[in-house]
Amino acid sequence: MMALCRNAFARDLRPYTLLGIVIVIVGVIDHGTGFFFRGATLFSIMQIFATYGLVSLAVGLSLLVREFDISVAGMVSLAGAVAVLAGARDPWLGVGLALLVGLVGGAAQGLIITRLGLGSVGVTLGGLLSFQGLTYVLTGNQSISFDHVELALALNAPIGVVLSVRSMIVIAAFVLAAVVMQFSRVGRDILATGGDRRASTMAGVNTGGIVFGVFAASGLLCALSGVVLSYGLAAASPAALSDVLAPAAAGAIIGGVSVVGGRGRPAGIAAGVLVLCVLRSGLNAAGASADMLDIATGLVLLLIAVLDAPELARRLTEWRLHRRGA
Amino acid sequence: MLLSARGIGKHYGPVEVLRDVSLSVRAGEIRALCGENGAGKSTLVKIITGNQPADSGEITIDGVVATIRSPADAQKLGIALVSQELSLAPNLSVLDNIWLGNETVPLWHRRRALAERARAALDEVGLEGLRLDRQVGTLGIGRQQLVEVARMLTRDARILILDEPTATLSDVEIAHVFEALRRLRARGHAIIYITHRLGEVFEVCDSVSVLRNGALVGDAATGAIDRAGLISAMLGRELGELYPPPRAAPADGRPALSVRALAVPDMVHGIDFSARAGSLTCLAGQIGSGVTEALRALCGLNEAATGEFTIGGRRVPLRSVGRARAAGVRFISENRAGEGIFLRLTIAENLLCGQLRRFSRGGLLRRRAMRTIAGELAAAVAVRPARLDVVAADLSGGNQQKLAFGRIIDGAMPGVLLMNEPTRGVDVGARAEIYRLVRRFCDEGWCVVMASSDLEEVMGLADEVITLYRGRVVRQVGRAAVTMHGLLADITQQQAA
Repeated sequence: MMALCRNAFARDLRPYTLLGIVIVIVGVIDHGTGFFFRGATLFSIMQIFATYGLVSLAVGLSLLVREFDISVAGMVSLAGAVAVLAGARDPWLGVGLALLVGLVGGAAQGLIITRLGLGSVGVTLGGLLSFQGLTYVLTGNQSISFDHVELALALNAPIGVVLSVRSMIVIAAFVLAAVVMQFSRVGRDILATGGDRRASTMAGVNTGGIVFGVFAASGLLCALSGVVLSYGLAAASPAALSDVLAPAAAGAIIGGVSVVGGRGRPAGIAAGVLVLCVLRSGLNAAGASADMLDIATGLVLLLIAVLDAPELARRLTEWRLHRRGA
Repeated sequence: MLLSARGIGKHYGPVEVLRDVSLSVRAGEIRALCGENGAGKSTLVKIITGNQPADSGEITIDGVVATIRSPADAQKLGIALVSQELSLAPNLSVLDNIWLGNETVPLWHRRRALAERARAALDEVGLEGLRLDRQVGTLGIGRQQLVEVARMLTRDARILILDEPTATLSDVEIAHVFEALRRLRARGHAIIYITHRLGEVFEVCDSVSVLRNGALVGDAATGAIDRAGLISAMLGRELGELYPPPRAAPADGRPALSVRALAVPDMVHGIDFSARAGSLTCLAGQIGSGVTEALRALCGLNEAATGEFTIGGRRVPLRSVGRARAAGVRFISENRAGEGIFLRLTIAENLLCGQLRRFSRGGLLRRRAMRTIAGELAAAVAVRPARLDVVAADLSGGNQQKLAFGRIIDGAMPGVLLMNEPTRGVDVGARAEIYRLVRRFCDEGWCVVMASSDLEEVMGLADEVITLYRGRVVRQVGRAAVTMHGLLADITQQQAA
């Protein structure tokens, strides 16, 4: 029983355990009203997942190589604005241009970080402000609407009760990331780079290329997220999702990504984001305010930090020895 | 010649670290590369393996001039390095680490075929029992080293460079490495073997190149040179007696330190021993015997340690560094960079940082007094006082270790000095100084207990030897009764051949 508990809270399984626990708790709070287990609620959970999932994946990838991409919120807004502006006549042109902006923006940050050997926090903070500034310039600091409302409706139309095109795009991106991480050499190299960059370089891994690629991929994922969001809302706002970084990072960390790099999986990140989505949906259903969600998220993160603490492990060992009377 | 480097030169800023160095190695040859720390061995290796560009000179492979600009270039040319700093990702499995960075692994691959070849390589270096999915970070340093050697085997490298592969290994593990090397030599690989242990040069190598101050000063077959000749080539002078003479009169009989039923889960299973003030007691054992863990436990560094530890009849609580220090215990770690000194601080800061209370008045530091004492401490451990403001990272391993000794001298009464592998990564010249330093601590009345896996060092230095095998004491013997044969038999529990 003890061993089972320990395994369930070991890093690899923890996101799923937490997801289960959160579902049970929300179910209990909900008790009997049946609100939570309605199809509409599940649909809305997946819609929230579609909003945060890709950004969380992007942040998670950067954490995997022991970096931190702060610029995600800026890139989401910028790509959203580019897509809406450039896609006024041909939506596909908007998609292409927005993804290109994401790729180039991410690659530029990756290049600065690897070539100049700078810390990612500083560089991507600069990226965040630049992308945000560009968005304000492009949009004239106001929300701009997207005329293809039929596209927004199509993106959000329920498919099989809980899914939509929007959420399926995000799920597809997660599946792709999971396949790359699990079955390709690049996946191993990413984990190795995050685990010990010097050792990986010595072993022959092109760690500079890996870090560069991760930032380019992060930019691309954020751009995709921005496109899907702005097309889904039929509008782009310079302030859209400006506070996405905290929940995105929280999702990745709850999802088992180590903040010191080298550990974590896309499937875990998905579960971590779902924990937040379920919490939010459950709290909404219970009539709690949005602040409650922040507090609940904070408590979950705190729990995880405590579970990871070496100090706790030490004290538990001491306590066990003490009980044994040694 | 399989590999031939000619006229290699290299500057770091204004400092010339390599001057017109040539080195070549045939297929089926193991060539030792010797030299004191700072002689230029590591730089030469970095150039051959593409981790550093050379300023001048050329490298040919099979007589063809080779361009080596990156580790990947070197790998394509069949050059592989097992570095002193391991190149394993601790978070990945043994299998993933073996194939990490291998240019021949396709982007998408089937792991089963890779697993079979990895298994064969692991078997070849004597890791038959090691599971492929074991996380590398959970392995001991010795087994990690062997995983690295196994990785080289899977790369079919023709030119293998091993940078002090045995510095952290136990004798049984060293025997495995040597076995693997001889097998590779028989298959026609060329091997460059860097070591500080001169015995290994004669045991496993065919030829030896000696560097001193960035220049090649010796190149000979191992049959044509003897130990003394090798040492004088490395030092450029005769080495006095490496080990200082033992104390003429035996230390007074009272045990300064006594340990009863010391245990660390999975590592040390109830060991008893005592040590006298003014004498040097060596705990000898292989990696895994529990010697290092036992000493760490006595310093309060193991949270799960149990047992009874007394100094001068007074009980010292385990599991607390602070209380161990208060009882007069001082520790020199086997992990110099991580636990011994502060690499980014200067010599003066390193020497004083543990005893700032002595120089503070009302919370403010008295700089002049600090300067004076730092100078005295530096002189006491034979570090040139003129270098007080040099950053510790720029010092050789030997000088860094001297700093670790200097930090201990803090005006307290002579107490108990515990050391793990104090000469690891220290060259022959600096070793002699460290040994003299250790002896001086003894003469001043310290009770010194040292863990070592270098049997030659144990034989040369110890007043008393305690041998351990798998966490239990085998024997405690006085200096006079110590033989190499006996030590080896004790710590391996096999009849030494």
